[in-house]
Amino acid sequence: MCRTGQQPHQQGAGDERTAHAAFAALLEDSAEELYESAPCGYLSTLMDGTIAKINATLLRWLRLERDAVVGRMRFTDLLSVGGKLYHETHFAPLLRMQGEIGGIALELRRGDGGRMPVLASSVIKQGGNGEPLLVRTTLFDARDRRAYEAELLRARKVAEEARRQAEADRARLQDALAALQQSLLPDSLPPVPGVETAVHYRAASPDRLGGDFYDLFPVDGERFAFFLGDVCGKGPQAAAVTSLTRYTLRAAALHDPDPVSALTTLNKVLHERYTGGDPRYCTAIFGLVEPDAASGRATVRLASGGHPSALVLRADGTAGFLPTPGGFLVGALPDARFATADTVLAPGDTLLLYTDGLTEARTGEDRGSLYGDEALRDFAVGHAGQPPRAVIEALTGLLDDFGDGLDDDTALLALGVPAPDLRTRNRE
Amino acid sequence: MSPLTITTRDAMTGPVLEIIGDLAYPHATELTALLPTIALRPGQRLVLDLAGMEFCDSSGISALIAARNLAHAARADVALAAVPAHTLRVLRVVGLDQIFSLHPDRDAATRP
Repeated sequence: MCRTGQQPHQQGAGDERTAHAAFAALLEDSAEELYESAPCGYLSTLMDGTIAKINATLLRWLRLERDAVVGRMRFTDLLSVGGKLYHETHFAPLLRMQGEIGGIALELRRGDGGRMPVLASSVIKQGGNGEPLLVRTTLFDARDRRAYEAELLRARKVAEEARRQAEADRARLQDALAALQQSLLPDSLPPVPGVETAVHYRAASPDRLGGDFYDLFPVDGERFAFFLGDVCGKGPQAAAVTSLTRYTLRAAALHDPDPVSALTTLNKVLHERYTGGDPRYCTAIFGLVEPDAASGRATVRLASGGHPSALVLRADGTAGFLPTPGGFLVGALPDARFATADTVLAPGDTLLLYTDGLTEARTGEDRGSLYGDEALRDFAVGHAGQPPRAVIEALTGLLDDFGDGLDDDTALLALGVPAPDLRTRNRE
Repeated sequence: MSPLTITTRDAMTGPVLEIIGDLAYPHATELTALLPTIALRPGQRLVLDLAGMEFCDSSGISALIAARNLAHAARADVALAAVPAHTLRVLRVVGLDQIFSLHPDRDAATRP
């Protein structure tokens, strides 16, 4: 286009001039034009709130004519009821106090009755002597922002609903677990003539099914069978073994209440059921107690399958283990041996069965310091001569003291012949 | 809780599994899962070296019995080496000291 040497210069000078003129025109025009059609609302009010000046943008938002507003309405007349209230209680007082206020969310009431959210900023213009002359207010369209906030609120409601649902699911699952857990243990023990019994069960974790079990039930007119044990492993699979174990032992005892026979039956059942890559077994003590009304004593015969030795607390203040060495885990081998032990409980004597949750409780920071057999026997000596309920109560307190040191479930079963004075009291 | 690491070596007597860390719930099943992949010939001895085992709970005991069952199914022997004192006490209580041959260390366990 530009072929001569001069033309570009002339042309360029002309462009410059045009641009300059446009810029000047823009500057000249800007104040009024910018005020009227700015992308925000402008408003000037007298100190009593009367609207003195308002721009076209705000009038368009309000769907109002200038004549109906200027000198006739106050700023608050443009606001919704909620907006008015907020203006009176917060906006105006703060503005008076600070001389300016910014970014306040208000709601305009439009001429057609509609509402429009805005963000308002105001500043007081002062006269030469510092006296307030008028209030200048800028209003920004907050409809997008309000929509965004509504979306945030909706998302939060959805998240809260999901959380509530998850909590409800969790509660239902815990109820189911609790019901299953209860099916693993008897609700209450039947009364045994001349013998007092007491039990305690402590699950290491409320949302984990326990692997410990106990039971006590009559096998014939004179004898009662009892057992207590611990299934190897944890979780639902272990609980399934616990259930199988409990009902197998009950059925076996009704068929043949001899302790070794009962454990042998359980051994066969578990070994056959869980042969293969996922072996499952338990340790258990199974016993028979036969109270003798004539002598006031009770004879106990028990067999152990790999279970920690029972403790006997005597009326004379001594206590000792009732060893059953060499007894084998139940269910691990097809031809397991079980060790037996016998004792006689005189009045004031108590037999205690427990699971290793008690003896393996941590008493220090690391796993090296466990409560242990020795400490348990010493504890038993301290409570020898006490009836089963008192012994279990004391052990429950001990478990409480372990706190976080209790890593495993713990089952406790005590049975004893009440001391003479207690029996007399019971008869009264 | 320390993680469980199991390394496999071959000795004159057969495979040696070195158990390092916690043989306990829920990781003890890693040993149970590993066992079927161990090549074990009749007459060999599967040695579980427990010198580096820090802790063994009832799940760990279950894994040891699974190892024994596997060895016996393959008509092989099974031995435990360097059983920590606490675990040895547990093994005695549950009668397992009668079914595993126990050795003070890996050398003794892998002696033909």
